[in-house]
Amino acid sequence: MASAVNEEYISLLLVAAVSLAAPLLFAAIGELISERAGVINIELEGMMLVGAFTGVWGAYLSGSVWVGFLAAAAGGLLVALIHGVMCFVFLANQVVSGVVLNILALGLTSFGLDAVFGSSLNRSVGTLDRVRIPVLADIPFVGPALFSQRLTVYVAILLVPATWWLLNRTASGLALKSAGERPDAAEALGVRVMRVRWVALMACGILAGIGGGQLTLAGLGFFTPNVTAGRGFIALAAVVFGKWNPIGAAAAVLLFATADAFQIRAQALGIDLPYQLLVSLPYLATLIALAGLLRKMRPPAALGINYLPD
Amino acid sequence: MTLPRVSSRRVAVQIMIPVAAVVLSLATGALLLLAVGADPISAYESMFRAAFGSLFSTSITIGKAMPRLLAALGIALALRAGLWNIGAEGQIYVGGVASTAVVLGAPDVSFPVVLVAAMVAGTLAGAVWGAIPGVLRATRGISEVITSLMLVYVAIQLTNYLLESPWVVPHSTFPATEPFASEHRLPIIWPGTLLNAGAVIAALAVVLAWVLSSRSTFGLELRALGGGEQAARFAGVRVKRIVVAAMAVSGAFAGLAGSVEILGVRGRLLEGFSPGYGFEAIAIALIGRLQPAGILLAAVLFGALDAGAAGLLTSGKGVPSSIVQITEAMAVVYVLIALGINEKLSRRRRAREALTGVRRDDAEDLDQAGNVPALDTSVTTGIGSADVEGWHRP
Repeated sequence: MASAVNEEYISLLLVAAVSLAAPLLFAAIGELISERAGVINIELEGMMLVGAFTGVWGAYLSGSVWVGFLAAAAGGLLVALIHGVMCFVFLANQVVSGVVLNILALGLTSFGLDAVFGSSLNRSVGTLDRVRIPVLADIPFVGPALFSQRLTVYVAILLVPATWWLLNRTASGLALKSAGERPDAAEALGVRVMRVRWVALMACGILAGIGGGQLTLAGLGFFTPNVTAGRGFIALAAVVFGKWNPIGAAAAVLLFATADAFQIRAQALGIDLPYQLLVSLPYLATLIALAGLLRKMRPPAALGINYLPD
Repeated sequence: MTLPRVSSRRVAVQIMIPVAAVVLSLATGALLLLAVGADPISAYESMFRAAFGSLFSTSITIGKAMPRLLAALGIALALRAGLWNIGAEGQIYVGGVASTAVVLGAPDVSFPVVLVAAMVAGTLAGAVWGAIPGVLRATRGISEVITSLMLVYVAIQLTNYLLESPWVVPHSTFPATEPFASEHRLPIIWPGTLLNAGAVIAALAVVLAWVLSSRSTFGLELRALGGGEQAARFAGVRVKRIVVAAMAVSGAFAGLAGSVEILGVRGRLLEGFSPGYGFEAIAIALIGRLQPAGILLAAVLFGALDAGAAGLLTSGKGVPSSIVQITEAMAVVYVLIALGINEKLSRRRRAREALTGVRRDDAEDLDQAGNVPALDTSVTTGIGSADVEGWHRP
């Protein structure tokens, strides 16, 4: 059925890929900022899930999708704050805290769904319309994917160069990276490591929450238990696969999302490829990259290590 | 060398903290239930009845505790060496898959040959799945955290693929194999209940975990490694070997958990057969303070909560069963907070002692008292870092 693969097919595939990439991109950029400051968030999935829920809740109560996005950011931030209190105040291991917060997020959002909407009732809220940018949207293949998207997708795309600029061209970025590489040395040079880490972690919570909101508010319009279905872990993988660099992470997200979009459409084309292989791509690719078969990887030196000023 | 004295402080940390955390988490659950207008007393009553109300329901609780227990024992062993096996969930899946492969491919031989072979295959598959992050850690200095986590999803997709392609049952609505023949299942050992022979295996595994961690050279090496890679190397521990071995043994326990779940509880392979047992097992290992006996108690508690959740669903009182996940997570949150407070108090006391030069008797350093350094809550993950200094301590 090779004839089905024409310009329109590819164009639609790319539209789907960019739509699928947007929630991941928010979360991956957030996680990247946090990891560069030395804080790992296994609970990225939980942040997205809580954001996905509070986003729908907020939109439902207010009738406004934008209030929903604010609520989604607040939901992700809440998870980040709990993680920060656990790890920075009570010195808990970041991995343990992350694993537990994922379980807690799953429980709380399912509980909240029952409590707010009633278990059987699946209340849906409005979603965002696509905003078409004239002329650019007519570019063959990539035009519709990049220039006829929902407003938040443009925000997600703009986050990539903004984060690159923040990390590589500003003093704040330098302070952030130093907190993730040599916190003791950074502190000696006047960087307030704990403050930097708090800010980075909170940024991650907000962005991952918005990523969850993007999932439910931009497209679905409703929340179901575990609606994120592992997307937080894919975003986590994208940060590693992208070598802790915003451009790399964005490329990884796009690759993973394209594989996902293709996976959904491959069966319709009659391509006999186990779709589970494509679903596993983010994890397999990251494992292979980490094993050094592709290129050398070097994470932030102090990643996951709590900083204890004595 | 004298045995470390058991101080009142240490007893408090090992026993009181988990108990208090569980009580607090149940109280938190009760508050949430009150908030949604449910009666917590009657909710907990239906949960308790569903978990321990009869021999039959108790056997359900034990069945739900078994995979969590086995996986948690393995996680605790690796943690003694400071290694985070957060991929037990994936090792459970490959364990179940390998057991199924043996059962489906078995020639017509008599009980218990196939069954034993299936258990061995599951255990070995788990060991291999666990050893991969261990090898990457030992040879390339990559943190086992991310790699073991990635392998979880590969294992789940592998399971789904097998159930939807080679092992597909035509015209079935749910991805699962046909139920195994009874001679290919772990037999029921208490007639009239669901208690299967997996319980005996789990009990033996508790003893084995205790022997491995407290009565073997391997356990000593694990602890030495947990105390710091460089120190362990000076003490003659072959670090790389122990890292791989610890992760493989940890994975073996989880693989066995998958085998027991498939061969004992489920009696067939099905999609999503482990709804997060491997992640809950991390919580169980921590609540059980890495001690096999403590892990046993924590696993039974989690099994009872799970069985109780089913009771909540059928009680018709409109109580969300997700309250169980919240309770489980909050138990760990409280344990972590208590350990953090304990750690801060110890630091303050050490600082004071350093100033005054006085060391009070009950102020025993937990690390010196044989506590596991990995549970020192300030310990690091060393994500992806080959930097030995950064491995265990900031």
